[in-house]
Amino acid sequence: MGAAPKEIETAAQSMPRRRFLAWLSGASLVGSSLAAMFSTYVFMKPRATYGQPNRFRIGRPEDFPSGVRVAIDTKRVCIVRDGAKLAAISTTCTHLGCIVAPSETGFQCPCHGSQFDVDGNVTGGPAPKPLAWFQVSLTPSGELEVDKDSEIQTGTYLNV
Amino acid sequence: MSDENNSIVKTLANLPKNVWKSIFRNPLPSSDRGRASTSFSNFFLHIQPVRVSRQTLRPMYTMGLGLISFFLFVILAVTGILLMFYYVPSTTQAYDRMLDLRSSVAFGISLRNMHRWAAHAMVAVVFLHMCRVFLTGAYKTPREFNWLIGVTLFILTLFSSFTGYLLPWDQLAFWAITVGTSIAGYAPFVGKSLRFLLLGDATVGQEALLRFYVLHVVVLPAILTIVVALHFWRIRKDGGLAKPEEATVAPTPVPVTVTLEEPVLVAAGAAMVAADTAPRRFTIQGLVRGPFVKVGKLEEDTVFSWPTLLIAELVVLLITVIGVMAVSIFFNAPLEHPVNLMHPPNPAKAPWYFLGLQEQVSYSAFWGGVGIPALELLLLVLVPYIDRGKAGVGRWFARERVWANTLFLTFVFINVVLIVIGTFFRGANWSFVSPF
Amino acid sequence: MRTALAVLSLVLLIVVGVVVYGQFQSHWQDSQKEYLTQALAMAKTPAEKASLEVQEPKLEQTIVTSFKDARGGTIVDRCESCHIAVDDPRFDNGKEPVRTHPYLAELGDVEKNGHWERKHNFTEFGCTTCHDGQGHGLEKADAHGEDQAWPSPLIGYTIQADWDKGVAPHLKGKDYLQANCARCHTGKTFAGTPLVTRGRELYFKTGCFGCHRIQGLSSGTVGPDLSEIGNERKVDYLWGHIVNPRAYAPTSVMPQFKLSDDDRKALVIFLKSRQGTTLAESPMEAFKLNASTGAPVPESAATVAATVSASLSTSARGEQLINGYACLSCHKLGDHDGGISPDLSYEGLVRDHDWLVAHFRTPRSRIPDSNMPAFGLPANDYDDMAAYLLTRTTPPPAMSPADTFKALCARCHGENGDGKGVNAIYLDPAPRDLTLAEFMANKPHDRFISSIKIGVPGTSMPPWGNALSDDQVNGVFNYVWATYVKEKPRTLKPRNVPQVNPVTYSQQSVDRGETIFLARCTGCHGKKADGHGPNSPDISPRPRNLRNFAFINSVSDHRLFESITYGVEGTAMPSWLDYGLQQNDVGDILNYIHSLNKTASSAAIGN
Repeated sequence: MGAAPKEIETAAQSMPRRRFLAWLSGASLVGSSLAAMFSTYVFMKPRATYGQPNRFRIGRPEDFPSGVRVAIDTKRVCIVRDGAKLAAISTTCTHLGCIVAPSETGFQCPCHGSQFDVDGNVTGGPAPKPLAWFQVSLTPSGELEVDKDSEIQTGTYLNV
Repeated sequence: MSDENNSIVKTLANLPKNVWKSIFRNPLPSSDRGRASTSFSNFFLHIQPVRVSRQTLRPMYTMGLGLISFFLFVILAVTGILLMFYYVPSTTQAYDRMLDLRSSVAFGISLRNMHRWAAHAMVAVVFLHMCRVFLTGAYKTPREFNWLIGVTLFILTLFSSFTGYLLPWDQLAFWAITVGTSIAGYAPFVGKSLRFLLLGDATVGQEALLRFYVLHVVVLPAILTIVVALHFWRIRKDGGLAKPEEATVAPTPVPVTVTLEEPVLVAAGAAMVAADTAPRRFTIQGLVRGPFVKVGKLEEDTVFSWPTLLIAELVVLLITVIGVMAVSIFFNAPLEHPVNLMHPPNPAKAPWYFLGLQEQVSYSAFWGGVGIPALELLLLVLVPYIDRGKAGVGRWFARERVWANTLFLTFVFINVVLIVIGTFFRGANWSFVSPF
Repeated sequence: MRTALAVLSLVLLIVVGVVVYGQFQSHWQDSQKEYLTQALAMAKTPAEKASLEVQEPKLEQTIVTSFKDARGGTIVDRCESCHIAVDDPRFDNGKEPVRTHPYLAELGDVEKNGHWERKHNFTEFGCTTCHDGQGHGLEKADAHGEDQAWPSPLIGYTIQADWDKGVAPHLKGKDYLQANCARCHTGKTFAGTPLVTRGRELYFKTGCFGCHRIQGLSSGTVGPDLSEIGNERKVDYLWGHIVNPRAYAPTSVMPQFKLSDDDRKALVIFLKSRQGTTLAESPMEAFKLNASTGAPVPESAATVAATVSASLSTSARGEQLINGYACLSCHKLGDHDGGISPDLSYEGLVRDHDWLVAHFRTPRSRIPDSNMPAFGLPANDYDDMAAYLLTRTTPPPAMSPADTFKALCARCHGENGDGKGVNAIYLDPAPRDLTLAEFMANKPHDRFISSIKIGVPGTSMPPWGNALSDDQVNGVFNYVWATYVKEKPRTLKPRNVPQVNPVTYSQQSVDRGETIFLARCTGCHGKKADGHGPNSPDISPRPRNLRNFAFINSVSDHRLFESITYGVEGTAMPSWLDYGLQQNDVGDILNYIHSLNKTASSAAIGN
């Protein structure tokens, strides 16, 4: 860069070129930054965790005779079988997260007295929502698999 | 009522513009005055002076090595922090986490590679930067203390790399640190205590891993950041990067007429001042001494920091980032056998930057590992206080400084040769082997 | 500059794009997509089709909670991310990795109501518990452990790049999985691990138990402790080491046993199953087992004792014991020949009861540098075995001297008389090289005749005098001279050495002798006078072990004087007279050497 007048001259001649280069640099840098931010987000979302898996097998349909309600506390789910229909109902109270226990009328939460019917609908107490129903599917080898990451509508049964 | 409504509507309509203007108070500069004021109006840009010497911007003068070191540090900090979200400094979990980073973690392998290669690069580049500063005589008055700060940064860089080396907890890491801390143990009087302090135990184990982890992710980066900031401050206070001297005889000051390009603004400014009825008081901020760019004395050979210096810095940043990323795409950081306390590899080698030391240690434990390095460090530290001559600053291989340069290059050459021997020419039981 | 900035920004965008793109391509997703495509084709109901169509590849992972891996870490197995169909019975003819894991009765799987139920389900056991490999890996090379830095590649499947090419083909096959079954199924006769059982049998039958220790099985001290060898070494090392010990450990004294490939496989599987504490026992149980005092009686002792009737006569019992205790995996007796140790066919003629029993108890009490371990067997077994060996009194048939040499001497001294017989590398001192004319021609004949007839104490040269008549002895001697030495016997110069040590034995003499010894002799004979001085590996024949008390105490002062003063021609022992040693000095040295060999134990300290 020489004396001021020359500077202005060259600037005037190369202004469009400079603009284009500036635009190119800016766009590329912004693009790279966006890609980097996106990558950081993907990086931060774990693909594999070390905790309890949310998809697990519970056995075969024969292990749950008709009419039975089996609460599996370690997995916070209760398996309900009625004839050929099978469901997995969450036993995590929708109030503040305690484990509800099966009772004669449905489910009962020991923490703050929430009451639910056999389908998990709220019948009393402070719970705001009904108990979640989880998707149950049959694996190709004939075992039952519960997926707590997929909630289904109350009353949707799996036919076994 | 409608007036009120109008003013509410107007407020809401002006909301985005007002928000924007409250954050970005100054427009992008389009005039010299604007370019000058970036150093005062922007937090991030005030680290730079208004104008910089064009001599110091020449790529082959500094090769941007100092900047590259700094950018590598930034890359290391960013990738390092991200890696911290998945790494666990436990002897039973660390290796498994490294495996996870290589497989189940998205971008885990890229981040780890970038971190590893940037680390190796930083040690090398910091060293090259030190060589550049020496060979251009840029440590001379008034830059002596900045040289000391730089030597400190070099040691801190080595130590950071060393502490990080242990974290994968594989055979390479474990035995390299075993060797390295044993060399440290040879220091007289403090050696054993120093080793025990570093390891937190008699041998390398969980305690060492935890201590090295804390040092590596918190302590050393914090200290490095502060010392780097000091290093930059000193550069500003020393008048920018060292440049070749002008004529040795001070020229008779020629009165220079400054023509401002924007007489309109001057008039407006004068009008502002005239309109201001309250008398203004100005307080002296400070008296400065030294070869600084002074108001009224326009140096021919300077350019505005905005945008020239900034573009130059951005180019260096991009070269650094692209370089690190490209290497990371093609080369994977090593992960060797999990730690096996019963099977030291034969030979067990320290990280490459300590292999010169290890080679020396194979001749004499004390002199090789402690004595000679201490002497070399002492010489480095004393360099600007021994070499008081003012000649030869700002030029590569200045003839006035042939002795200093030769001596320095000799030491560099010897150390490089030692590292090369230690890397390629030493095999099992530290016997000589041919690398071919 | 601006151009550079623009170009570099573009390059950065491209590089970032490449990196980002790369991270979204993975082989495991491709496998799952392949599975979903095939499953869709097999789908029977519309509901099934619908659910398959929306399914996206997901990372499949099993975390085993009931036990930890060998390094104390959590078992995390991601194999099912590629091997997505392991539990889908419809894929038993699928192409790997999309293939069903076999249902096998021998794995405990049962068929019920038309479907198979897996006994070892993957949720509880993971995959690497049985198959080894790297559970964390998601690329095939990582997951299968193909990188030689990974300590446990897929067993019976993966060959790592640095494995010996001759050994590698033997290491493939499902049988190798039995080594990992034994992590839990430690029963000695468990039906699922026949090769582990056979390997254990061979461990005793081949004599491994004598040199090695395995927790609960044997307590040998010559070789390394193998209780955790399955964790420490990969199968290529185990196989290769059995085939050629010195290829993997150059200073090993382990013999090369004659084994078939099937035997080797069983041994390798057995050794691989030795992984320290098994998953079947708690750490406390393992601790108590380890802490129990008293060496365990080697298993074969109990087994053999069970099979050998007590009503048998001692020598008949001894015969069965010798076969059961694996002696013949090293020694020769009748038709069986291990090819490693001396021929016992004429033992009744060359040894007596006391010698045999003492040798059984502690081989080094008779041959101080023997590599035969002390097997630690019950005392009365030794008596019976000695009794049997003493029944071997049929002398060798009358043969030509050449045949006699071949039958009796060549085993150690070699077919070419050069001291390189099949046994030779296992014997210390090594068998004499009879072709070394420089040595042979400068010794008196009586010495050789005596060596043949009464043997050389402290070495493996037995006294053949009872097995061969004098004529046979002379015949062999002449044969050796003519065939191997090939030199005219020389008239030996008379040498001025005393018959008896003129220097009286005293502490001062011993001290003087020690000083001279340390100044002159240690370069070859070593500081401990055990023949392992720094020069010794480069000298042939090796310097004498002067702590071999059996040998030293059988040699006359006259011979020792001669050897030191005038050296031993044909060896590196110089004539010390030329280096200034006087007779008194030599006498002091003799007293020093004798002081080292006063008792068996004082000599053994040197060993």
